[in-house]
Amino acid sequence: MSNEFEISRNITIGQYVPTGSFIHRLDPRIKLLSFVVLVLAIALNTSYLGNAVGLVLSLFLFWASKIPISYGLSGVKPAIPFIIILALLQLLFQGQLFSGGTVYVDYGFILITSESIRLVIVSAVRFIEIIFLSSVLTLSTSTTEMTHSIQSLLSPLKKIHFPVHEISLITTISIRFVPTFAIEMEKMMKAQASRGADFGTGGWWRIIQRTKEMFPIIIPLFNIALSRAEDLILAMESRCYTPGGDRTSYSVYKAAGKDYLILVVGLLFAVLLLFYPFPF
Amino acid sequence: MPARPIIEIENLSHTYMKGTPMEHVALKGTNLYVEEGECIAIIGHTGSGKSTLIQHFNGLMRPESGKVIIDGEDLSQKKVNLKTLRQKVGLVFQNPEDQIFEKIIGDDIAYGPFKLGLPLKEVRERVKWAMEVVGLDFEEMKDRQTFALSGGQKRKVALAGILALKPKILVLDEPTAGLDPKSRKELLGKIKVLNKEEKLTVVFVSHNMEEVAMLADRVYVMADGTDVLSGTPKEIFTDKEKLQRHQIGTPETVKILYRLSDLGYKVKTDAFSIHEAAEEIMKVLAGTKEVSNYVK
Repeated sequence: MSNEFEISRNITIGQYVPTGSFIHRLDPRIKLLSFVVLVLAIALNTSYLGNAVGLVLSLFLFWASKIPISYGLSGVKPAIPFIIILALLQLLFQGQLFSGGTVYVDYGFILITSESIRLVIVSAVRFIEIIFLSSVLTLSTSTTEMTHSIQSLLSPLKKIHFPVHEISLITTISIRFVPTFAIEMEKMMKAQASRGADFGTGGWWRIIQRTKEMFPIIIPLFNIALSRAEDLILAMESRCYTPGGDRTSYSVYKAAGKDYLILVVGLLFAVLLLFYPFPF
Repeated sequence: MPARPIIEIENLSHTYMKGTPMEHVALKGTNLYVEEGECIAIIGHTGSGKSTLIQHFNGLMRPESGKVIIDGEDLSQKKVNLKTLRQKVGLVFQNPEDQIFEKIIGDDIAYGPFKLGLPLKEVRERVKWAMEVVGLDFEEMKDRQTFALSGGQKRKVALAGILALKPKILVLDEPTAGLDPKSRKELLGKIKVLNKEEKLTVVFVSHNMEEVAMLADRVYVMADGTDVLSGTPKEIFTDKEKLQRHQIGTPETVKILYRLSDLGYKVKTDAFSIHEAAEEIMKVLAGTKEVSNYVK
């Protein structure tokens, strides 16, 4: 039987699934770079076939990293309403901007053409591809690896006094606490439900009522977040954390041949997606 | 006709994150029953499934397999009125003070009764009753700010928030964890009063064996997601072999008495209430005096 309170199960961000696959063992910096390149390429490709290639590629990555595809799907699930709303808006209001191709409907400001339908379908698929890709990245890379690699990739910016370390520290902390707060929230929902609270009753249009229903969760969560932050400060200070201090890292990454190979493959895919004249 | 137990758990199992690589079996084939008016302690190491088990009592978790029957109502049925169930079974979570969200004590305690849709007068009476049961003066405390309270007082407010629902069964997850000794003692006293005088059925999870020895009528020991041992505190704490097998701690009194008996003194090792234990130790002391007098 499904459980009304199991939130932490649905939050895949910040979760790491250690399967020890080839993808897991790649240099995280290379993984991150290839990810950025591929996402850019997917975002700019507007053909059906190109996006089909992208979808197949992202599914292949799930297989290669030995992560069950259900993880990717559970990441897509919460995004479905947004995808639908976005699709509707594009279908109804963006026809004027993409007026090429055959005209199907022309009624007042609503203009639906084969091009605008292409836009709708391609953006929905694109959305799913990007969620899949980022799921593979986050599920196969621990948060520490991720922030270390962001820090390492951004380190040239130190020269222009960009606060690279601070930013990566902030990212690490916030990502690190996502699952923690999901657990806290689950606990809080259960605790308040035990006092007779109910959530998500009444229609979605009764925004005020539904917001009020959330107070018994949000307020305690804020309290918990603040006290956790205080604990964290103490813990960091007692381990001699000094803002702005120079520090070395425990883990040093060294990219090997296979890592560069993957980067090259990623780049090739990106070039393919960007410049190959897909027939449709 | 013998009375039916108010809580009946039969062969209950639960697996977290089923169907994912993070799958984790929390309960497997647990059995438990609680008679009306009893005070039951559940002990066991972290991860033995205690918290998962008690969340089944008020329908926060529904039985995956096995049976949960609360006051005659079978929770494995699809149609269960969760509201009335949660009113009947008051569940106090670990660190319940976290759940206080109103600015003023009275308002926070009144949240549950208001959610039950009770009229204002009734709500007020319940808040008053609940505050007095936990030892907070209604007139003096009802309009105080919640954030300015001490840890012990906050926990009392949280407990009152549950009691204001007037539950028949009170379930507490480590009620005294993180409290100072004085508040701890006070809270235990309140729980005893609730059980003995207000006739609430009490189930509590604890790591503190003194508490268990002091409060519980019966004890369940959980290990690896199942109930491995149950009985009165006397039966549990005197079964040396099983205590060791399941690595259960014992109250200090039991430890001292075992120590004395190991050293060859004749003591009753099942006399673990502080009073009885003190008497046993006195006897030993008196005995040694006699011996030493004799030697002289």
